[in-house]
Amino acid sequence: MGKKRLITGVVATAEAVRLADVDVISSFPIRPYTGIMSELARMIADGELDAEFVHAEGEHAQLSVVYGASAAGARTFTGSSGVGVTYAMEVYSPISGERLPVQMAIADRTLDPPGDFGSEHTDAEVCRDQGWIQGWAATPQEALDLTLLYYRIGEDPRVLLPQYACQDGYFVSHIAGEVDVPDEAQVKEFLPPYKNKHQLNIYEPQIIGAQIEPDMGPPLQYQRALAMRNAKEVIKEAYDDYNRIFGRNYSPFVEEYMTEDADVVIFLQGAHSQTAIDVARRLRNHGEKVGVVRLRTFRPFPTEEVRDALSKFKVIGVVDNSANFGIAGGGGVLLTEARTALYGEGDKVKTVGFVAGLGGEAITRDEFYRMFAKLKDIAKTGKVEQNAYWVPFEL
Amino acid sequence: MEYDVQKLFEEPGLIQITTWARGVIQNKDARDVVFALANAASKEGKYVQAWENYVDLPDRVNVPVRAYARISPNPIESKYIYENENPDVVVLTEEGLVKGNNVLKGLKPGGVLIVNTKRDPEYILKFLSDTSNLGILGCVDATGVTGYIKTLSGAEGATDASGIGAGVGAVLAGAAAKAKEMVKLENLLGTVKNQDACRYGYENVKLMKVNEVGEVVSIGKIKQNKYDLEGLPFAGTVPSPKKENEGMVTGNWRTERPILTKELCNDCLICWLDCPDATIFKTEDGLIDFDLKYCKGCGICAAVCPTEAVTMVPELDFVD
Repeated sequence: MGKKRLITGVVATAEAVRLADVDVISSFPIRPYTGIMSELARMIADGELDAEFVHAEGEHAQLSVVYGASAAGARTFTGSSGVGVTYAMEVYSPISGERLPVQMAIADRTLDPPGDFGSEHTDAEVCRDQGWIQGWAATPQEALDLTLLYYRIGEDPRVLLPQYACQDGYFVSHIAGEVDVPDEAQVKEFLPPYKNKHQLNIYEPQIIGAQIEPDMGPPLQYQRALAMRNAKEVIKEAYDDYNRIFGRNYSPFVEEYMTEDADVVIFLQGAHSQTAIDVARRLRNHGEKVGVVRLRTFRPFPTEEVRDALSKFKVIGVVDNSANFGIAGGGGVLLTEARTALYGEGDKVKTVGFVAGLGGEAITRDEFYRMFAKLKDIAKTGKVEQNAYWVPFEL
Repeated sequence: MEYDVQKLFEEPGLIQITTWARGVIQNKDARDVVFALANAASKEGKYVQAWENYVDLPDRVNVPVRAYARISPNPIESKYIYENENPDVVVLTEEGLVKGNNVLKGLKPGGVLIVNTKRDPEYILKFLSDTSNLGILGCVDATGVTGYIKTLSGAEGATDASGIGAGVGAVLAGAAAKAKEMVKLENLLGTVKNQDACRYGYENVKLMKVNEVGEVVSIGKIKQNKYDLEGLPFAGTVPSPKKENEGMVTGNWRTERPILTKELCNDCLICWLDCPDATIFKTEDGLIDFDLKYCKGCGICAAVCPTEAVTMVPELDFVD
């Protein structure tokens, strides 16, 4: 059985990488994810982990290293934050296109300018269409669990896709919390060894990433789309097994908090869900019918599950912790996607966006209070006067 | 529902011109044929397009490449159909292209083929497989009048600063204009740099009537999904060929064929060492031979042979 430890999200992630017995790690420093790599380097130095540790000359090279290593049959791990994530952008699509289940930890950091260490989901969300499995951990425990879950999901022969295991920088990455670190036997039961479908082999040479004729383009994209579609079933299975073996109680796609008989809810993902739940609970104590729905898996976006979860309420406030300048609706990605999921529900379910916590500012309890107040107001008047509010400037 | 596609998508009056050429060394002249004709038609108030095929390998010397034009009295509705599917006129900037390339594919009934060659149409006809739609075959010795223009100016969709129609392309555009009514000679002459060459093509192309083809309309159906998803390689990964790469057969790049004079060969195998495509091998009786499925006809073997035992002979001298 596992061992309780007081550790940060970065250490929890490194513990999971150790437990997953990763073969090749490539690093390049940038706050706040750096701690994961420091911890892994320490583990290797202390003989706790046997892995190749390649310090790359930048994030583009970092991703290229794990791309090749994964093609050679290695279980791989890398990570980054903020502009480091975007610097490697070119390499993400080739990795998912070649169906290599690389794992990358993203501890969110605001994109420049300015050089801001604070967390914001923008860095990871701009990668959302690259064919990677993606979701957010809200606690150090979840950071550990997500790492193990994503290796299992991504390496499943029905999926074979890389994964961004995201955690909010600082909030999850740097605040130590109690974590149940599982033992190796549990992990062994959960995570079978990695087997690539087209492993590089000098005796059976093959070309990966070859130049192709344009008519090969559509089926390749389609194969990747099917893999993403298949992933949903695999995610369910993986979470079931994980809950059973490790004694957790996760819902694979959306988590609902205090939503029974709720009129209005806040829908969001990541660490700030914890504050939203706290505020909702306090309002509940005063008889307010409010709740929180948290998105756990962002890619593949669980359209049906989100629709089923959200269509029960009168008003939904969608909180985006990302800057999506000029986006439809004026909020963020979650707002547009939640609205797409709710297509067909008509005017019965009202949605409004809140862009909050930008630049790594915490979304305060006052702010969540004001958001809930706005939602109740909309429920009362039946009018959505503004598609989305930038908090705190407009609310 | 099944439609007669020819009717559903038909564009009355649309003329499609396709030029075949050799990569790098004749790209420019292929482009000139289609741009000269399109520019001339534009002067006449027609709607026009001209472009190069995007998937042919533009940077490999001798590889077959194509350039296209469309001319129409009406706005061109098929402007983003990838290639000319049913050309009215096909032009070859070099005679060897008739081998190993289905140059008449999709030719409209009564269509025209123009070939840059010294040879007669009767001889060229031997190399064409399905000529049922071919109306007119025209031969003109464009290379005898002028040369190929070798420049990268105008490649990849950039502006051609060298001007249009200075070389072989002018002759072939003239010949095409003679064989198929599409632009007036005076307008064509107004677009090309080498007007004498263009007029020569117009006046000296040898035209041969191949078939009397009326307004035959072939009936097509809406194309169905062409992909066999099960049979596709996973993630685009392809096994390396063990011996031969059937996906890259390069014999049709050849304009000249290496021929061995046995008596002169001293078996030094320098040609074998130098062949960039590993197409030279030894036969059972110990002589060297050439794998013509892949030989591109680059002529390096002939150039390095110390005893001049290898000579390069025009590909079309061979009827095989």
